[in-house]
Amino acid sequence: MTLGGLTAALVAFLVVVALVVALLRDVLAATVVFAAYSLGMAILWVTLQAPDVALTEAAVGAGVTTSLFLVAIIETGRPAGAATFVGDVDVTSIAATLAVVGVLAATVPALPAVGDPGSAPFLRVVPHYLEQAVPLLGVQNVVTAILAGFRAFDTFGEVVVVFAAGVAVLVVFGREVP
Amino acid sequence: MREPRSAESVVVTTSVRLVAPFVVTFGLFIMFHGASSIGGGFQGGVVVASAVVTIAFGFGIDQTARWLDRARLTAAATLGVLAFAVAGLGPVLFGGTFLEFPVYPGPTGALYAVEVVEVGIGVTVAATIVVLFVEIAGGFGAEAGHGGDTGADPAGEEIE
Repeated sequence: MTLGGLTAALVAFLVVVALVVALLRDVLAATVVFAAYSLGMAILWVTLQAPDVALTEAAVGAGVTTSLFLVAIIETGRPAGAATFVGDVDVTSIAATLAVVGVLAATVPALPAVGDPGSAPFLRVVPHYLEQAVPLLGVQNVVTAILAGFRAFDTFGEVVVVFAAGVAVLVVFGREVP
Repeated sequence: MREPRSAESVVVTTSVRLVAPFVVTFGLFIMFHGASSIGGGFQGGVVVASAVVTIAFGFGIDQTARWLDRARLTAAATLGVLAFAVAGLGPVLFGGTFLEFPVYPGPTGALYAVEVVEVGIGVTVAATIVVLFVEIAGGFGAEAGHGGDTGADPAGEEIE
């Protein structure tokens, strides 16, 4: 699997930005940099030809999550510190992080190449979705056909989860509508 | 009475005023065109909600929270889930199973069911995100309001 120049640059950018988020001391600065991370992720999804995921990442990751973090900071305050970055990073946590990354990276060569037509999903499941999206559902966008048609049960569960999150917040804040 | 938490900047308020209608239109477009172009109910709902969030940051969170009707938002979130459930139960009437959209009659029956599902998702997601934003911004009633740069007094009373 070869990465294009843009993809490689984006991945490098994301690693650097993720490290900056982890090391920044100020929560407001970390929130802003985290939004930049989500924006980089969204561009990466576009280069990987997943515009639906890119749209979700840009709207949820860079947009809504950032605004929710911002209002949380407004409500809780931000502890002021002299240093920009966390000074003393625990050596054990670095070792643990590197170990997890190493284990995960060791599994990457076992993955099929991006778009490999011989990989398992492309043999039965994907051809079925691609062939049946228009005849069965009349839906041109196959991603929508999968989410709202073939796998509508999963999506129904997800919508109920979103609804439950709203209800939970209303209950926690004690402001459920009488 | 707490200080109004608005941007108090002509640049910000004017930008929000100009951009918000287009953002809402874009969100609705994504929501209604999920079947034929990229996006869908979830993405469209998030974009519509982000327009409300933008207005809140531009014109003041508390003013926006007062302008929003909490009961209607909760009703909208519930109606979205109900629309999904009704569209999913419909195939049972035509001899299918739950969420078996292809048994809807007519050449576009399944497509309309998917559209109902998408709009239901969008309404639920948009309403829920607005509720999340407004509630977190409102804080924990009497205990809140000690943080931030403007926090002078608790904000509990303007909610509800």
